[in-house]
Amino acid sequence: MSKLYTFLKYFFITFWTVFVVAPFLWAVSTSFKDFQSVNSKVTYIPWLDFEPTLEGWRVLIKSPAKGGVDIVEPYFNSIFVTCTASLISIVLGTLAAYALSRFTFKAGFVRNNDITFFFISQRIMPPIVLSIPFFIFLSTIGLLDSLLGLVVVYIVLLMPIAVWIMVDFFNRVPKELDETALIDGCNPYQAFYKVVLPNSIPGLIVAGMFCIIFGWIDFFFAFILTFTEVQLLPVKVVALNSSITPWWSLSASALVSVAPLIIVAFIVERYLSKGNLSGALK
Amino acid sequence: MAKIDLSNISHTYNPLDSKPTYALNPFSMTWENGKRYAILGPSGCGKTTMLNIVSGLVRPSKGEILFDETPVTDLKTEDRNIAQVFQFPVIYNTMTVYDNLAFPLRCREFTKDKIEERVKAVSDTLNLSSFLNSPARKLTADQKQLISLGRGLVREDVAAVLMDEPLTVIDPDLKFRLRRNLKEINEQYKTTLVYVTHDQNEAMTFAENIIVMDQGEIVQVGLPKDLFEKPKTTFVGYFIGSPAMNIFHSTVSSDHEVKINDTTIKTNSNLGNLKDKNVKLGIRSEFIELAEKEKNNTVKIKLTRVEDFGNFKLLTGKMGNLVIKSKVEREKPIPDGELNLYFPPEKCCVYSDEKLV
Repeated sequence: MSKLYTFLKYFFITFWTVFVVAPFLWAVSTSFKDFQSVNSKVTYIPWLDFEPTLEGWRVLIKSPAKGGVDIVEPYFNSIFVTCTASLISIVLGTLAAYALSRFTFKAGFVRNNDITFFFISQRIMPPIVLSIPFFIFLSTIGLLDSLLGLVVVYIVLLMPIAVWIMVDFFNRVPKELDETALIDGCNPYQAFYKVVLPNSIPGLIVAGMFCIIFGWIDFFFAFILTFTEVQLLPVKVVALNSSITPWWSLSASALVSVAPLIIVAFIVERYLSKGNLSGALK
Repeated sequence: MAKIDLSNISHTYNPLDSKPTYALNPFSMTWENGKRYAILGPSGCGKTTMLNIVSGLVRPSKGEILFDETPVTDLKTEDRNIAQVFQFPVIYNTMTVYDNLAFPLRCREFTKDKIEERVKAVSDTLNLSSFLNSPARKLTADQKQLISLGRGLVREDVAAVLMDEPLTVIDPDLKFRLRRNLKEINEQYKTTLVYVTHDQNEAMTFAENIIVMDQGEIVQVGLPKDLFEKPKTTFVGYFIGSPAMNIFHSTVSSDHEVKINDTTIKTNSNLGNLKDKNVKLGIRSEFIELAEKEKNNTVKIKLTRVEDFGNFKLLTGKMGNLVIKSKVEREKPIPDGELNLYFPPEKCCVYSDEKLV
C-alpha cells in the first residue's frame, strides 16, 4: 500500500514538474529556431534536430527600421512603471494598513473593515468597469499615453493588494510591541518605523512581490491607456504577432518578460521559507 | 522613582453607552516610592486596566494620576518614564539582546558609556551576559521574557516598573530565583515594583503590600499576613489561601457567639447589634485544630477524606450538610470515623453582608 502511495506521489510530482517546466523548455528551444526549423517538424535537440540561431533574439533589439521590433524601450518603461507604482503603493498601503490595524475608525456606519473592503473592492471590479473612468480621468489631466499616467493608474490597482496583505500582517503583529516601544520612550511615529516596520519586513516583501507581479503582467490598462508615445512590454509582445506567427521571437520575448518575475520569486522564496512571517510575540 | 497617587480613578471601555459598564470602579490609592506591590485578582477583574492607566496606554474615564504630586493624566506614555513588562515576552525580533536592552536608553538619548554600563549591570543580574550579541529572536521563551524584564530595569530613574504576570512563561526554579532578584533590585535601587498576578503564592512571597481586586473593585489592601488571617470580605477569604477559607452560614446567638447548625462557636468579634441575624463564619483550615474530646468551640465532624500533600494532610469532613476542611501535620495520627475540631475564637472571622464584622 505504502509502495503504491510512494509510486503515485512521485508519479504526480514528476507529471506536474513536466507540466510546469515543459512550456519553458519548449520556449527556450523555439527561441533558437528559425522559420525553417519551426515549420519542418524538428523537435527539441539543437545541433542534431536543428541548427540554433539567435535570429529570434536579435529581432527583439533591432530597430523597426531594420526589420526588428525593439522591445528595449518598452522593457524599461515596464520596469519604471511597475517599480514606481509598486514602491508608492507599498509606502501608502503600509501606512493605511497600519492605521486600519491599530486605530478604530467610525464614520456613520463605516468601520475599519468597511474601509479595508473599500480598498479590496477596487480589485473585485472587472477591469473593464474601470477603463472608461480611467480613460476620461487621464485625458482630463493630460496624462493619457504617458508613463506618469500609467503610474497613477497602477497605484490605484496595486495599493489594494498592499493594504490587504499588510492589514492582515499588522493584525498578527501584537499591539504590545507598539505599546512596549511607547513605554521604552518612542513616540508613535518612532514606534512605527523603529520597531513595527523592521518586524514587518517579511510582510512588506510579500506585498512587494504581489505588487510587482500584478503590475508587470498587466496588459489591459497598458493597452487601453497608451497609443504611440509610450508602450509597455506586454503590449509590445502581443504586437509581435502577425499573419505568420514568429514563434522564435515570441518565445524569446516571453522568456525575457518572465525573467524578472523568476528573479523576484527566488528572492522572495528565501523569506517565505524562513517562516518568520509571524510577529515578535511567541 | 516616584510616589504614585491614583485619585478617584475609574474607567469604562464603552463610555458612549447609555449604561456604561465599568472595568474599574472609582478608587483612590497611593503607591509609595520604593515599595513592592502585588495586584491580585481573578482574570478580568481590572488588574491590567489599572496598570495600563498608570503607564498611560489607557486614559482613565475619570480621576487623576500624580507622580510625585505632579499630574500626569494627560501625559503620553513615552513622557511618563515608566516601565511595563507584559505577560508574554515582547522583544524586538530584529535586534540583538544588547540592542534590546539598550533601546529604552537610546530612545532617551543616554550617552554610549552610560548605556554600556547599565546594559552590563542588568544583563549580569539577569544572567544574559553571554547572549548579548545573539539575535534576540533565537532565545528561548523564558530568556526572551528576561529581556523584556531587563528593558524595564535598565533605566535607573524609572518612576515604577509595572509587571503584568511576567513570570507566566518561566519555569518554576527560575521563577523563584527571579522573584528573589526582583526583591534585591527593589532593595538595592529602591525601584517601585508593581506586580500583577492571579497566583496568590507569587503575590505573598513577592510583595510588601497586596491589593486584592474583584470585578473592578479594590476589595482589600494590606500586608500578606492581614489578608490571610483577617480577610475583609468572603471573596478574599475564598481567593487567598489553599484550600479556600471555610465559610459557614450561621446565626448570631449572643454578643460574641454564632450558631452553626446547633453548635455554638465563640468568636472575638463584637456581634451585639447583629443579634439573631444571618451571618457567615469564616476560619482558615490552617487554624482548625484536632481536639481529643468535645469541649467549648469544638464541632463534631464525620471524616470523609484524608489527602496527603507531603508536608501536611488535608482532612475533609462533614457536619450535617456543611463541609469542613482542616490542615494538620503529616505525622499526626488521624482517628477513623468521627472527629472533634477546635475553632480558636481569635481566628474566627464573622461576615455580615459578605464584609468582615
